[in-house]
Amino acid sequence: MSGNVIETWGLSKQYDGKGGCKEITLQVPRGTVFGFLGQNGAGKSTFVRTMLGLLHPTEGKATMLGQPIGTEASRRKVGYLPELFRYPDWLTGRQLLEHHGEICGLTRSERKRIIHEVVERVGLSGRVDERIRGYSKGMQQRIGLACALLSDPDLIFLDEPTSALDPIGRKEVRELIAQLRDQGKTIFLNSHLLSEMETVCDHVGIIHRSELVVHGEWRKLSAVKPQIEITLEQASQNWHELLPFVTENRLLRDVEGQTTWLVTLDRDGRVPALLEGLIASGAAVHEVVRKQQSLEDVFLYWVQQKEREAHVANHQNHV
Amino acid sequence: MWPIIKITYREMISKRIFTITILMSLAFIILFGVATWFAAREVNDMMGRIGSDGVMMKGFFSTQLLGMGLYFGSIITALLAILSSVGSIASEIESHQIDTWLARSLTRKQYMLGKFFGLSSMLILYAALLFLGLLAINQWVGGGLVAVQVSAGQLLSGLGYFVLLPVILVSVSLLMSSMTTTVTGGIILIILYGISFIGGFVEQLGSLIDQESLINIGIVSSLLFPTDSLFRLTTLSLFETVDNPISFASQGIFGTSSPPSTAMIYYTIGYGLVALLLAIRVFQKRDV
Repeated sequence: MSGNVIETWGLSKQYDGKGGCKEITLQVPRGTVFGFLGQNGAGKSTFVRTMLGLLHPTEGKATMLGQPIGTEASRRKVGYLPELFRYPDWLTGRQLLEHHGEICGLTRSERKRIIHEVVERVGLSGRVDERIRGYSKGMQQRIGLACALLSDPDLIFLDEPTSALDPIGRKEVRELIAQLRDQGKTIFLNSHLLSEMETVCDHVGIIHRSELVVHGEWRKLSAVKPQIEITLEQASQNWHELLPFVTENRLLRDVEGQTTWLVTLDRDGRVPALLEGLIASGAAVHEVVRKQQSLEDVFLYWVQQKEREAHVANHQNHV
Repeated sequence: MWPIIKITYREMISKRIFTITILMSLAFIILFGVATWFAAREVNDMMGRIGSDGVMMKGFFSTQLLGMGLYFGSIITALLAILSSVGSIASEIESHQIDTWLARSLTRKQYMLGKFFGLSSMLILYAALLFLGLLAINQWVGGGLVAVQVSAGQLLSGLGYFVLLPVILVSVSLLMSSMTTTVTGGIILIILYGISFIGGFVEQLGSLIDQESLINIGIVSSLLFPTDSLFRLTTLSLFETVDNPISFASQGIFGTSSPPSTAMIYYTIGYGLVALLLAIRVFQKRDV
């Protein structure tokens, strides 16, 4: 088995040639938290459901833990918290976990021990013997999380895992994800809450209008748009026009003759040239701060890039 | 597959429809017992008044009463079978409850067979208890006056046909449940069941007045949905009057003057098997 727990080659699941996910080729390395980002309806859940064999792919192929998707073996060490978490409400939380444990092949004593552990872990102690119909949305999401962890999975799909949780619950889930990664588990996290993803993900994939735009280590992806904040004095109004590698600039502040600008450079490594250029133009440089890109910046950059490409292609087709 | 059978048991027991059906069935059995007791008193008086001619009337009363009980019993068994199984796949897909089960290391075939064996075994138990309850009342509450003479072999054979009805219905319901929504599947099944029963009566009537076209309507309806033939086989097994020229007169509307053939028995079993195999196939192919 390679170092990737998920590998897909042109995987598509479309409905009459539309929607869903299209030609997704990606690799998810073992032991990482992989964030799958996209707007609502971009195809994130469709991809996950296809991987789990709930949907049949229309094209392409994929493996999960080294096994072709759709097979029983591929799901043996996989946990799943669905976006639309609904559990039989006539069961108690414990009965639900018991049944899942039986399907996973756990013995009675293993079930007893593991259920106790996972219930503690998701913060449902004391409520697990109540019927699910009496659970709040947040509690249902927690019992779903417990279900996902029950089989001690190597790969865990969490589809919008904090959608029903309060801020404390969200923090707990983030901590849980970090603990799981530390244990060597791979977590495939579907979400459109970018600020949450940013704190836990190592790798990201961005899906837009069914297609995978980019994927990789997100800190490397953030380098595509180097930005700095620079504070100047005595700079001419059109200083940026003299420096061709400045692709964008925005005045952030103007305080007592000192102007602070957000400058986007055409590539990394241009900062010395920028400083030389500014000094040569007679400006005094007071402060230079490399701006750390947020996941939202990265996401918007790639989505806009994709939109531009689509626009150009569309225009060429019309011509 | 065993965990799915267990979940199915738990689900059936937890559902209100099952509790209500059990309670209503108990009410029905009590009512049937009271009716049998009064009928036995009436037959006793009649036997005293008309002497030996009363033997035929006694036969009529006893088979009519038991036939009526079994007829109603088969209807409630069928409705329970349809209502408890037609949504077993479809409603779980509609609510997405099925997602976490199928995301486990479990094949869809195992899931479907787990549902089938869970539902079938519960319904077989229910149908057997209902059948034996009705027979017990017939044999003992009436003090022997309205008791149909039944041998152990007849009882077993009648019971076998009676409990086969819910098994066939569960197979077809699961097929519907894997193909369509709960409501659509339920409507289709109840209509098919109705066609089968009406077709069965039309066939018996056609046989009585010797009308080929009516008999053919019955045969076609039985081929379309062969549940009526199971009820006919149940009563035939118990009353054993097929070759008797006065059989229809002694059995009234619940009798069988046009008995299902042996081929029909195989057809019915084959029908259930094919429905189950198709249900597995359709479920394996579909998205959930």
